[in-house]
Amino acid sequence: MTTHDMPQVSTGKVVSLDAETLSAKSVSLWKTTWRRFFKRKSALVGLVMLSILIFCAIFAEVIAPYDPLQVLIGVEPVKMRQAPCIHLLGCPQDQPQHLMGIDGNVRDQFSRIIYGSRLSLLVGFTTVSFAVVIGTVLGAVAGYLGGTVDNVIMRLMDVLLAFPSLLLAIAIVTILGPGLINALLAIGIVSIPAYARVVRSTVLTVREMEFIEASRSLGGGPFYILFSRLLPNSLTPLVVQATLGIATAILDAAALSFLGLGAIPPTPEWGTMLGAERNQVFTAPHLVFYPGLAIMFTVLAFNLIGDGLRDALDPRLAQSSK
Amino acid sequence: MSRKPILVFVVLAVLFSMVLSACQPQAAPTAEATEEVVAFEPLKMEAPNCDYGGLFKSMEAVDEFTVKFTMCAPDPAFLSKIAFSSFSIQPKEYLEQTGGGGEGSALLEKPVGTGPYKVSEWKRGEELIFTAFEDYWGADKAKTPTLVFRWSSEAAQRLLELQAGTVDGIDNPGPDDFAKIESDPNLVLIPRPALNIFYIGMNNTYPPFDNEQVRQAIAMGIDRQRIVDNFYPAGSEVASHFTPCSIPNGCVGESWYEFDPVKAKEMLAAAGYPDGFATKLYYRDVVRGYLPQPGVVAQDIQAQLKENLNIDVTIEVQESGTFLDNADSGLLDGLHLLGWGADYPDQTNFLDYHFGAGSSKQFGEKFTDLTDTLKQAAALAGDEARKPLYETANNLIKQHVPMIPVAHGGSATAYKATVDGAHSSPLGNENFSVMAVPGQETFVWMQNAEPISLYCPDETDGESLRGCEQVVESLYRYEIGGTAVQPSLAEVCSPNADLTEWTCTLRKGVKFHDGSTLDANDVVMSLLVQWDASHPLHKGNTGAFTYFSSLWGGLLNAPAE
Repeated sequence: MTTHDMPQVSTGKVVSLDAETLSAKSVSLWKTTWRRFFKRKSALVGLVMLSILIFCAIFAEVIAPYDPLQVLIGVEPVKMRQAPCIHLLGCPQDQPQHLMGIDGNVRDQFSRIIYGSRLSLLVGFTTVSFAVVIGTVLGAVAGYLGGTVDNVIMRLMDVLLAFPSLLLAIAIVTILGPGLINALLAIGIVSIPAYARVVRSTVLTVREMEFIEASRSLGGGPFYILFSRLLPNSLTPLVVQATLGIATAILDAAALSFLGLGAIPPTPEWGTMLGAERNQVFTAPHLVFYPGLAIMFTVLAFNLIGDGLRDALDPRLAQSSK
Repeated sequence: MSRKPILVFVVLAVLFSMVLSACQPQAAPTAEATEEVVAFEPLKMEAPNCDYGGLFKSMEAVDEFTVKFTMCAPDPAFLSKIAFSSFSIQPKEYLEQTGGGGEGSALLEKPVGTGPYKVSEWKRGEELIFTAFEDYWGADKAKTPTLVFRWSSEAAQRLLELQAGTVDGIDNPGPDDFAKIESDPNLVLIPRPALNIFYIGMNNTYPPFDNEQVRQAIAMGIDRQRIVDNFYPAGSEVASHFTPCSIPNGCVGESWYEFDPVKAKEMLAAAGYPDGFATKLYYRDVVRGYLPQPGVVAQDIQAQLKENLNIDVTIEVQESGTFLDNADSGLLDGLHLLGWGADYPDQTNFLDYHFGAGSSKQFGEKFTDLTDTLKQAAALAGDEARKPLYETANNLIKQHVPMIPVAHGGSATAYKATVDGAHSSPLGNENFSVMAVPGQETFVWMQNAEPISLYCPDETDGESLRGCEQVVESLYRYEIGGTAVQPSLAEVCSPNADLTEWTCTLRKGVKFHDGSTLDANDVVMSLLVQWDASHPLHKGNTGAFTYFSSLWGGLLNAPAE
């Protein structure tokens, strides 16, 4: 705090810039990043949305009024694909409340949507972690070693990138057989090249910096330099890429499920729910609307956070926006 | 330099080959022309004896316009069967010229028939275009010059196109849309009688389905009423027997098991599965009259089996063609959802096709008591005489449970209100030559799926059969929108006293789409290539010829299994 007080005595832009540099010296990169991140309203909105999602996923049992797999035939006087019944909005009290209506198999749609958040988050995080780990190792090795290794790895990645990602995922699932795990694997494999490329390019720039040279002259081995010097300093773009990647992964998983290649019924997966009821767009719009909305909500949350992180992590953007 | 002569040579070679290929088609007609001069040589095929298990003893062309079929056993349903579109007649020369089918054969894409329409162009994946046949023999030529088949597996899309006016008629509107169509003054909904059955099949070669008790337990553990009440449109009913009651002797014998989860659980425990087991449920995501909502019904069965019997079911969707192949070859190692629509209104079409001696391996090993009963019944004339045997057969089916009959599904077609001659056929073979929209040169029909091929002797899929039925004809035909048989290419087919010989007199002057004239040899050849499995032209699309095999008891010279 004392460092802040002193320059305020002086006037003008130069001094305030000075303050910025001074504070930067004492505050870590992550702290400033967070500070910048929280200054962005859109990023905050994204974070709130994500918190809601995570809350839903963790407390699904508490929030969902029904078991997502429970067929309500004979349990309650409800009909297949019944429209939502919300007591607050004037639905008669003697009718059971179903916030998002009843699905084609006479199950409570709201409970299924809530449980679906678990799957979607799981899909997003696992596929991206899988892709990030493999992509990072491949990219870092390629960037650090260069030469033939670099060429082989990166050409392989180029081949993967040459396919439209969804098509490639469909091909992989077709070989492995439908199922959520296989769909995750497929999406994971498909998204590896993006991370490999990002990591390689940052490793290429960081590799030439003086502190790496210093490490090397101090006798650091290649393994040490790669994993404890190079990688930690190349993380920034990777974090952004991964956050945005979660959104794409969730979308891809929903698309695969929509096509019947992802989650197997009766799993409450949003894409599967959307695909199963796509014929009822006009007769029972709520069955298509809510899963679609849920997917949109999740993807938007991750996109907003990803955008916010990118802006916050980019020092040039940060300064110009001041 | 030295390149120039090579270039000239290449150009010459290309030109030469172009000239050659241009000349090729001319060669064929001249050969045909000389053939026509040759005197009529009647074709005849005779089985050495009746031990091969089928119904045909011989087929022969007696003279140019007479065909005689000798049967191994009397067959009262002969006319109903021979009218079926799988036994349609194509020119003998065309069958020979196309090699009887096989990969890429023109026979699969462009049948040459005698029907009111001929195939003009099949844009695979897009549409199938027919044009009216000028020289059609019948009094009523096609009312609309061009007929177009399109398809979409989505009921919502079919209805949308009908409402938008881009198509004139659709098959199977979604059950939820029935009321909407009825209230729309621009559309008409024509219900189709429920001459079909939706069943849950089991293959008794895979454990635990090899245990009859397990199959009976599952039969008792599924609440079929709940499925029909919740997921079927109005006009559907729970199946008391495999065959719908409107078919003679369809529902004689005991009714199907009542839903009794407690007893079912006990039986499953007695069979050695007190805690249930894990299995798979296969289906194709294709809407049919008997199964309007495949995915939903599959999930409900899954939920019911879990709840009532603690059987863990994994659902697997397969592509339609693959699914049918797998079912017929007995590769489905769990439960499967399939159904059947009547081709002709006779018990043999339901029971013999599925459980007779000539049926496929869909349900695994055949039950000899059942096949014997069915064979005896098929040989008897008269519904009354056959009744006791069909009672036995239905009871045997209930005992053995090769499948669980679930529902007879009501379905419908919908048309623009302006369509003349709109109808629904209980057999699913709507005839478009009698339909027209005033002032419209083209009639567009949208069905659920694309035909698999148009060589219907080797197709079983209703969507394919409907395509064939516009183009090819059989000796007899079903009345439009009904099930009664009428003479078609034959003026009459008359049996001898004990129904073992059928003599058909062909209509004279019937022209095929390629301009040739129908004669007895065309009839014999068209049926012969299906009957004789060792015939060089016995190729078709997959080579199974399921209809011939199951309707007529089996194929001659069938390869040993």
